[in-house]
Amino acid sequence: MNEAIAQPLSRRSFLEGLGGVGGTGLVLAGMSALGFGIEARAAAPPVLSGRAGKRIVVLGSGVAGLTSAYELRKAGYDVVLLEARNRVGGRSYTARRGTQLTELGGEPQTCSFDEGLYINPGPWRIPYHHYGYLHYCRTLGVPVELFNNDNDHSYIYYEKGSGPLARRPVRKQEVAADTRGYAAEMLAKQVNQGALDQAFSPGDKELFLDYLKSEGYLTDKDFRYIGTPGRGYDTDPGAGLQPGVPSTPYAMSDLLHSHTWDTLKSVSDFDQQRTMFQPLGGMDRLPAAFGRDLGPIVHLQHVVEKISQTDQGVTVGYVDAQGQRGSVSGDYCVCTLPLSVLRGVDLQVSPGFKDAIGGVSYALVGKIGLQMKRRFWEEDHAIYGGHIYFDDADVGSINLPSTGWLGKKGVVLGYYQFFANAAKISALSLAERQAFAAAAGQKVFPQYAENVETSFSIAWHRVPYNLGGWAQWSDDGRRDAYPKLLEPDGRIYLAGEHLSYIGGWQEGGIESAWSQIAKLHKRVNA
Amino acid sequence: MSKSSARYVMRLLVAGASLAVVAQAQAAPPPTELSGASLFAQNCSACHQLTGKGVPGAFPALAGDAFPQGPPEPVVRLLLNGRGGMPSFRADLDDRQIATVLTYVRSAWGNHAPRIEPAMVARVRGSAAQDHAAQALQAH
Repeated sequence: MNEAIAQPLSRRSFLEGLGGVGGTGLVLAGMSALGFGIEARAAAPPVLSGRAGKRIVVLGSGVAGLTSAYELRKAGYDVVLLEARNRVGGRSYTARRGTQLTELGGEPQTCSFDEGLYINPGPWRIPYHHYGYLHYCRTLGVPVELFNNDNDHSYIYYEKGSGPLARRPVRKQEVAADTRGYAAEMLAKQVNQGALDQAFSPGDKELFLDYLKSEGYLTDKDFRYIGTPGRGYDTDPGAGLQPGVPSTPYAMSDLLHSHTWDTLKSVSDFDQQRTMFQPLGGMDRLPAAFGRDLGPIVHLQHVVEKISQTDQGVTVGYVDAQGQRGSVSGDYCVCTLPLSVLRGVDLQVSPGFKDAIGGVSYALVGKIGLQMKRRFWEEDHAIYGGHIYFDDADVGSINLPSTGWLGKKGVVLGYYQFFANAAKISALSLAERQAFAAAAGQKVFPQYAENVETSFSIAWHRVPYNLGGWAQWSDDGRRDAYPKLLEPDGRIYLAGEHLSYIGGWQEGGIESAWSQIAKLHKRVNA
Repeated sequence: MSKSSARYVMRLLVAGASLAVVAQAQAAPPPTELSGASLFAQNCSACHQLTGKGVPGAFPALAGDAFPQGPPEPVVRLLLNGRGGMPSFRADLDDRQIATVLTYVRSAWGNHAPRIEPAMVARVRGSAAQDHAAQALQAH
């Protein structure tokens, strides 16, 4: 290991810093530069030229399985894909009128949204750097639209703080303008008093003051924050003799004690950045396009029970829709089942590989779609898409639809909670979940509860064939178990979001598939 | 959230979480005392089911199972830190609530094991390394 850069910044803290500001790509680039030998991230499918005359059994038709099957077949392999459900897509899923779901231990649920309305209960947004996902949208002709992932005019509803801004909706633009304005003003005051002179090289100080003035909308002469049009007006400017009535900033102490500032960041986290997309018409559009393209090689309602192998090949035992047991054999297997599910499969692999499969946690995740009679958030509040932030972790956030703008009805994502909070909300009946979500939204919008018509909720940890939202690697698991699962066990290759550093995103599944099938192909051609 | 940046985010979140806990202590009214059965129904039953029988192949049974009736420390540690598909309850349940719900699990459905005291939970909480990310503002 190269210790040369250990002083004064340790390599790890350097990499963590990169992770914080630049995300995965930058970390990997950095690790590569530091000699870890980690691959750069792929932006396009691997080129699988050469021999391909083998039969591959692909398990699971989420985006990882679909990508594997699509690319392997294109390269000339004989591919068969088994899928447990009566649809393709896995977690890439859309609930619309008629969609049925029964959670383990739950009541049967049939979605009764109006025709044309839907919710994406799983993945729902695609940042611009998810090159693989967007590649397949282009290739398979799946149109996308913008997903609004931040909205200046949305509300923050925080109830754990104190003071006049706690337990009431506050516009995000007001919190942002005032908090950052005051912070810039205070910093400018320190700079002007000479308190930071030692930090500046000649010429820096004036430029830094210019920056603070720009950042915080400070007054020209004396660097004060007295409000700014961007925080909104008491009366908006209009025609004729209506210049607008400026609004008054909140008190800094009230902002601080409300804790609403924790929604502010200098820049969105890497995974949350605009531009974001969503497929037009629902997240299931891409898997559906893959499915149409793959045709008869996809076998729905084939539940994998057993995966065995010899040094000659792999055999997968399944149960079909009629309850009949059968098996398919191939030279290799690409298994994209979530590890939470794979644990329950009779799997013939080495003990170390099996332990590694058990070494990861899966996130408990809950969401609910609420069909609203009318789009009151647009009509009465001028909020078009984006999120209402809560500090009640049972709610997490309310998310307003980025589709059907200015229409009559819409489906709102009513909560998005994780872990212990998801355990708690998922214990509620379907009707109780809807009532809980309606009451949460009512705290922000007076029109909320009366407009709820019907709902579709999901608790991913209770969904058969998923048993969790996404893999959650601990530091120890990432170090010990993860590398083992990246290598094949005999003739069995694993792929999925769980084997990526883009965990919980479809992109992770796609790029993991690319990476694993490239390894497989290399072996076939060795 | 990409898990590569999870460590960085986790540091921010842990800092944020402690602030939130302080704020909650100032603002929230004292919690109502819930029975073990209520705590179980609220926090555990979605997976382990009200019967304690779990769902075969997905969620382990607690009724008649040796682990929850075994030595208390591993059981308390599991609730605090989570494992596999089970979340950490460290931030959501206090020592008394964890003791109460575990005592319930150890005596319900024909289970029979000594009660667990809040002091025991406090001791394990203090010594066990926290191996769980707090919640992000936005995840995926």
